[in-house]
Amino acid sequence: MDSLYLLIPFSVLLVLALIGVFGWALGSGQFDDLEREGGRILSEPGLSFDTDQRARQAVPEE
Amino acid sequence: MDAAAETSLRIGGMHCAACADTVEAALRRVPGVVEARVSASAQVASVRRDAAAAPVSRLVEAVRAAGYDASPDTAAQARAARAREARLALWRLFVAGLCAVQAMMLVEPTYLAAPGDIAPEYLRLLEWGAWILTLPVLAFSAAPFFAGAWRSLRQGRIGMDVPVTLGVAVAFLASTAAAADPAGPLRGTAAFDSITMFVAFLLGGRYLEMKARHRAEAELEGMTSRLPLDVVRVGAGGVDETIPVDAIAPGDLLRVPRGEAFAADGTIVEGRTEADESLLTGESVPRPRRPGDAVVAGSLNLGAPVLMRAERVGADTRYEAIAALMRAARTAKPALLRTADRWAAPFLWAVLALAALGALGWWFVDPARVPWVVVSVLIVTCPCALSLAAPSALLAAASRMAREGLLLRDIDALARLVRVDEVFLDKTGTLTTGRPRCTGTIVLAGTLAADALAGRASSLAAWSTHPLSRALQAARDGDGSVWREVREVPGRGIEAIDVEGRCWRLGAAAWAATVSTGAVRPADVVLSRDGAPLARFAFDEAVREDAPAAVQALQAEGVRVHLLSGDDPDRADAVGARLRLDSARGGLSPEDKLQALRAAQDAGRIVAMVGDGINDAPVLARADVSIAMGEGAQVARAQADGVLLSNRLADLVRARALARRTLRVIRQNLAWAAAYNAACVPLALLGVLPPWAAGLGMATSSLVVVLNSLRLTHRAPWTASIS
Repeated sequence: MDSLYLLIPFSVLLVLALIGVFGWALGSGQFDDLEREGGRILSEPGLSFDTDQRARQAVPEE
Repeated sequence: MDAAAETSLRIGGMHCAACADTVEAALRRVPGVVEARVSASAQVASVRRDAAAAPVSRLVEAVRAAGYDASPDTAAQARAARAREARLALWRLFVAGLCAVQAMMLVEPTYLAAPGDIAPEYLRLLEWGAWILTLPVLAFSAAPFFAGAWRSLRQGRIGMDVPVTLGVAVAFLASTAAAADPAGPLRGTAAFDSITMFVAFLLGGRYLEMKARHRAEAELEGMTSRLPLDVVRVGAGGVDETIPVDAIAPGDLLRVPRGEAFAADGTIVEGRTEADESLLTGESVPRPRRPGDAVVAGSLNLGAPVLMRAERVGADTRYEAIAALMRAARTAKPALLRTADRWAAPFLWAVLALAALGALGWWFVDPARVPWVVVSVLIVTCPCALSLAAPSALLAAASRMAREGLLLRDIDALARLVRVDEVFLDKTGTLTTGRPRCTGTIVLAGTLAADALAGRASSLAAWSTHPLSRALQAARDGDGSVWREVREVPGRGIEAIDVEGRCWRLGAAAWAATVSTGAVRPADVVLSRDGAPLARFAFDEAVREDAPAAVQALQAEGVRVHLLSGDDPDRADAVGARLRLDSARGGLSPEDKLQALRAAQDAGRIVAMVGDGINDAPVLARADVSIAMGEGAQVARAQADGVLLSNRLADLVRARALARRTLRVIRQNLAWAAAYNAACVPLALLGVLPPWAAGLGMATSSLVVVLNSLRLTHRAPWTASIS
């Protein structure tokens, strides 16, 4: 049971670390517009998809 | 004060209606400020000031000194401010949520295990672990509550954050005491999980509210920042040049590419296209536009590239007028909201008194439970639900109406609209399309030919925006006469002096023709020179398509519909008979109309007046509810409670239905808030309600109110509310 003296402080530190990671993700703007991200695959220029759903470089349109 | 300027500021950091008062007071103290109004819901301050004595920087300083943030209200900065606010709110919510979950994990064993199962030293380890996790929640996540409470206390007011802050602080201190002294009177009552969870619930509720507000603001911005930044002008010699939008002058020829907004009011010169005017009129079907047709700034060119001639630019455009109206409507504080503000302070004092009373009572029963009863009472009472009840519903209804084409300048008109039982309609431009056609010129006297007289009348008519004047202009180009001392007499006509010093009048024969000839009736439109009528103009006009249905729907609701027209009595009678109006009177001056309106009001009727907004200004001002039609460039000058941008009378009937639903929703909200508080406060006083449940209850209660109000924006399609 003595391991609790290590595990509980460790879990608390882990939570604080997680908060830090989330803060970084938030600061880099990843959560600014959640609605738009789903549609980006449709509008991203330079990418197209073949029938196997593999991304490849688009052929310039003539 | 000559240099009076109106400035919009975005205010950051406001959470309740009481904060708006604080900012208003701070702004009014700045020397040179004439008037300051703050909208808590839109988070915008609108300040009338002496531009020289009170620069914007001084205003921003004053707001910052009061503890809030301010920035000039331009769309880009507002967007950036919104993004910052959203990020910070999300981070606060995440920290509170994650810590709450972890604190729960650490506290859970004490719920599951029987007393004595866990050795005391491990219990203390768990308690201190939860204590550490509570620190970031208090220091960071709950900071807005502490800051808000501090602000209102410093201003000597009581705000909604005060009970919340007190509750959180008392709970934290009591829990810390319990953890620090396991043998003390508070032993075993540490509740770090409740504190963190309560803060997380509350932040979650505020986050959803903030999201809803941001969406509404972005919608309004989409409306008010529609114009392109640059336009292509066909310069002298036919060379295209790109100029900024504020450099357009009336008369410029502009190229409008497909998909772009028209930058000015004007007419199409070349090309056929379709214009999407939905943002300005609520009309969703694109309208065909051909050479000679009018286009309005802010509408979208959907069909093909066209060439247009700008006629009204900048602040003179209908678009700018509407945008200004919307800004004004956003900052005006409705009476219902003012009532809520008045009630908030006594309510909060009552909550504090109840908490104190509960503490006193429990002191004699079980002193260990005193902190938790106090916390539950402070947290469970939800003034937010009470104070949000009316404004959230009104805002939802107003934005819905604006989307459908009825722009309310005065939100209080919503409540009055429901009680209206008598409607007075103007004829020209209201019941009829307002686009009469000139069908002929009849020469009455003099040597000038009909065509020359029409040309002279057209050049004089160019000084007026009256529908008949526009019809004359449309029928024939002006002959280029030079006029001076042009004067327009509302309801009568227009007069001016020509180069030879002779006085010409164009308007109702009763006014224009002082020399009687017997050949004209008083309401005929004549052109006269020195009082002698020279020509009479014949017009016809069409009743609006939706007018019969709208009149019938109003009458079915028990509303009496009357026609008050300055036009010829015969024509008024004809329209009245065709639409089966309750009465139709013609040949009225604005004074006569006012008389008729007063008579109805004296008889105890609630009167709505619908008119074109300019000629009917005194009548509109006197009516209980006044609606101006949105056609024409002068909507901004119309001192009406609302502007019917769609120009559809049927929308008035639908607006009444929506107003009725709005009042119902407000009553539901108030009933819910009252019932919630009445049920939960006794439970909290009895010590039955744990603090976490109190927090959940409070957050849910305000969410219920906001969601109930949002039904107004979404449910029941607009068209379904009229048969």
